[in-house]
Amino acid sequence: MVDIGLTVFNGLAWGMATFLVAAGLTLIFGILHILNFAHGGFFMIGAYVAYSVMLAFGGTMPLWLYLVAAIAAGIAVGGMGWGVDKLILRRLRHVEDAYSLIATYALLLVCVGAVQLVWGLNYLSVMPPPALNSVVFLGDMFMPTYTIFIIACGILAFIGLEIFISHTEMGRLIRVVAADPWMAKLLGLNVRRIYLVTVVFSFALAGLAGGLLMANQSLSPELGGIFLLQAFGVVIVGGMGSIRGAFIAAILLGMIESFGTYFVPQYPGIFFLVALAVILLIKPEGIMGKEQTA
Amino acid sequence: MIDYRRRMRANLAIAVIGLVLFAVFPLVANSGLVFLAGLVAVNIVFGLSWNLLFSGVGLLSFGHAMFFAGGAYAMAVVSLRLPDLPFAGGLLLGAMTGGIIALVFGYIALRRASGVYFAVLTLAFSELVHIVITKTTFLGRNDGLVGIPRPVINLGVASIDLTSALAYYYFIIVAMAVVAFALWSFQNSPAGRLIQAIRQDPVRTAFLGTDVRSWQLTAFVLSGTIAAFCGAVMVPFAQIASPEIAYWTVSTEPILFTLLGGAGHFWGPAVGAILFGAIDYATRALYGLSEITVGMLLLGVVLLMPGGLLGFLLSRRTAARRLTGSGKRVPMANAEKAT
Amino acid sequence: MTYRISRRNLVKGAAAAGLAMPFINLRTAAAQDGPITIGIVTPLSGPVQLIGNFVRQGAEIGVAHINANGGINGRQLALEFRDSKANPNDASVAARELIGSGVNLQLGTISSAVALAMGPLLESEGGVVLTSGAGTEKLNHENYNAHVFRVGDSPVSRNAGLVRHIVQSRPEIRKWGGIIPDHEYGRTTWKIFDAAMRKIVPELTGEEAQIADPILVPYGSGDYRNYITQAMRLDVEGIYTSVYGGDAVTLYQQAKPFGLFDKIDVLLDSANEFLVATAMKDQTPAHWSGFHWYYEANKGNPLSDELYAQYVERTGNKYPMGWAAEAHAGIMAYAGAIAKAGSTETGDVIAALKGLEFDSATGKRRIRAEDNQAVKNAELAFIEPSASAPDGFAVTDYVSLDGEKVIEPATPGQPLDTTIL
Repeated sequence: MVDIGLTVFNGLAWGMATFLVAAGLTLIFGILHILNFAHGGFFMIGAYVAYSVMLAFGGTMPLWLYLVAAIAAGIAVGGMGWGVDKLILRRLRHVEDAYSLIATYALLLVCVGAVQLVWGLNYLSVMPPPALNSVVFLGDMFMPTYTIFIIACGILAFIGLEIFISHTEMGRLIRVVAADPWMAKLLGLNVRRIYLVTVVFSFALAGLAGGLLMANQSLSPELGGIFLLQAFGVVIVGGMGSIRGAFIAAILLGMIESFGTYFVPQYPGIFFLVALAVILLIKPEGIMGKEQTA
Repeated sequence: MIDYRRRMRANLAIAVIGLVLFAVFPLVANSGLVFLAGLVAVNIVFGLSWNLLFSGVGLLSFGHAMFFAGGAYAMAVVSLRLPDLPFAGGLLLGAMTGGIIALVFGYIALRRASGVYFAVLTLAFSELVHIVITKTTFLGRNDGLVGIPRPVINLGVASIDLTSALAYYYFIIVAMAVVAFALWSFQNSPAGRLIQAIRQDPVRTAFLGTDVRSWQLTAFVLSGTIAAFCGAVMVPFAQIASPEIAYWTVSTEPILFTLLGGAGHFWGPAVGAILFGAIDYATRALYGLSEITVGMLLLGVVLLMPGGLLGFLLSRRTAARRLTGSGKRVPMANAEKAT
Repeated sequence: MTYRISRRNLVKGAAAAGLAMPFINLRTAAAQDGPITIGIVTPLSGPVQLIGNFVRQGAEIGVAHINANGGINGRQLALEFRDSKANPNDASVAARELIGSGVNLQLGTISSAVALAMGPLLESEGGVVLTSGAGTEKLNHENYNAHVFRVGDSPVSRNAGLVRHIVQSRPEIRKWGGIIPDHEYGRTTWKIFDAAMRKIVPELTGEEAQIADPILVPYGSGDYRNYITQAMRLDVEGIYTSVYGGDAVTLYQQAKPFGLFDKIDVLLDSANEFLVATAMKDQTPAHWSGFHWYYEANKGNPLSDELYAQYVERTGNKYPMGWAAEAHAGIMAYAGAIAKAGSTETGDVIAALKGLEFDSATGKRRIRAEDNQAVKNAELAFIEPSASAPDGFAVTDYVSLDGEKVIEPATPGQPLDTTIL
């Protein structure tokens, strides 16, 4: 019973950490229809920026400072998103999707190279703030508070994004553009600006995720690739840029990975890929299908 | 009206000139460069096989490493465990391995997915193939299969000794030139033209009575077979098959070759593969700068030359001719596509 | 990280830009009294560059030492670097290109797949490579090749050394578990650990060791919680791990709140040296780690003291990894072999390397003639978090074991037989 509880808990942690990374990716995929390889790179930069902010404050940090560092990372990476849209994505809007894909792949390489130059190759490690460095017991089940924090962040990010997309003016505009950019243009909407806002917002989410997850794993120039395939899987299984779909997909894939490891420990790390392939073969349009966007 | 015969002659000439250039290369270069040139020759056809799908039927594959590795490992296993099988048998088995993987995977995937979904599906499958290789003792797991011998081809009356790296290099470039030209001929055959029509307008082509799916599957199997053939040819050259060749970064290589060289041109991937080999060579002694160099370069190409290097050069030539007023249309192989 | 561009490399680069150098075969041009060039094919980019940098520093310090002491038979040593990109194909291109320009003596190989690929290549092209630490046991067993030497630890001497010391110092610990990467390297280390434990524990204590099935973890994952909860379920007193680098940091970091390290008495880490400790600082779990070279254990050895001082001076990093010493030892081995043979020809150098005894940062090493494997001390150190230490951790115990006692018998061409350890 405790084992099952922990397996569910670990699956949720996997899912919510992945969802935090995938949220921005989903948004950009829903609107611009490109899979942004560089998302992993900017997630990594977010983690490193937050790390630097933390160092600037002396290295030990209360919870509020941890959150400030994460938000600072979100703002910094959002700013980079502005530059990326102006310099790269905007120019590729009228060529085939494959070119945007390659451009973002190239950008990922640049991110990795830049991190190596700025922060070096050494492995870095950040411990959660003291307030999150304990364990909560639920009967015999022990749950690290930082893991609970990650799960909470994932759920909050989901709720926040749902409210933003469904109940704000900007969210509505984004949905309109996602559904039919040509019609949106005819209606006199500033499509270009809405694209820019989406890209900046998506990048800011990558940076924020990097900051929030900085204490989750070691920091190194490899970090960019670690969550990327997982996040891709979540976005695709979720369906064409659907935030709700991605959220469900993250939990589903997290559970499959977690229970797979529990029952068949001799094949670690393979269940996510098998599940991804099987789900796409059964329902290639993803959980939320094609009709619902953003 | 396009003069097909003239175009055929022109492209045959390109293949032959390419072959001659590769053939004289060992006279001026040392053995490391010759080895690199051999890999580039394999990469050229690997890139062409990928572009058959991309520019041919409009399918974006992010998993071509699974075919390449399939052919490579089949060849490695055959050479190590069935040394009596003739070399050609190993090549055939290698190519067939890729064809079979493509048939099974394509049969399932093409019914279901298209566009980016198809791309991610190929990526996921290819990762699975990679993991399976690293877990199979028979395939040497992470350490790979090493010490793969190069063949002596017995022709009854005479035998061709390919055991030296240089002799095998000559085998590679001849084989690759033949396959490249065969691929060009296929793309310009009636079947090849039909496949291109599918890409340009799948709905209308289907309306005209073509079974779009089965033609897409045909192209997919052909592409997988050729990619696997490339892997099978490469293995005795490198004398090792290691799981790195099944990793997803290998799948990105033909994509990079194609876009760098120009997807709208049959020989685009060839130009890209050569350029990539040159970049690889130029960055061989750089400390920690190769990611950022390759990344910047790719970004530059995509942004400044979206038609790839070949597209860029040819469009400049066209513009120059127009300016001089000759008015003569430049025969560009498959160049009518917008990229 | 500093980027040093020597004038020599600059000139070479300029020549290459003029398309002259790479096309000319330098073999005939290499004069008998000019410098002897040694090729270093090692990762200079990508994630493994971290290790490549240690190799580079170690080799450069070694060459500076040889040259400052009059070179070899009056000839100076020089280095030529190539990026292996940790990939067999790129490494092959580099090795062949170097041989083509007359550089037949090479070192720096790190990855096992690359090291295994080098044998047949160098045999046909005519060259020698010394690996700086490829961890596969196949190298001096079933895939033994006369052209490949390992001047560092064999995986057996490393892991059997760890086991021997732990069993001697903590004989009361019988129940062991393991967390190992799901990779050939992980399996090799575990196979040796398991066999050594099952043999040495009864030998020293008269009781059987109880060893649980190892927990396999994937490479490059951001989440090891499921594997940590698996480990929590084990009834063990000691845990052995060969998870490496960033993965090890992630694993330890995520395991900490679960209390995994409070539950067990000993954490035995096969190879991370200071990688984990410099990242985690005062959060480092107390553990024994295997070392290629631990400078404190070799204090008083002038080669070790010089290597350490030079390394710190060049990089500002006080915690050099043992990879530096292995590359350094490679240079010392070549210097010894060339002096002994009076030649740099491949065949002569191979013959001289076989059976060579030479001084290194870890003391005397002997290369076995049968399987090209060096016999050297197995070193390990106990790293603990420490509030008073400036970097948050301190080494509170260390040991250097006689290599002759922990190495396996030479059986080139045969698979490693763990029953004879």
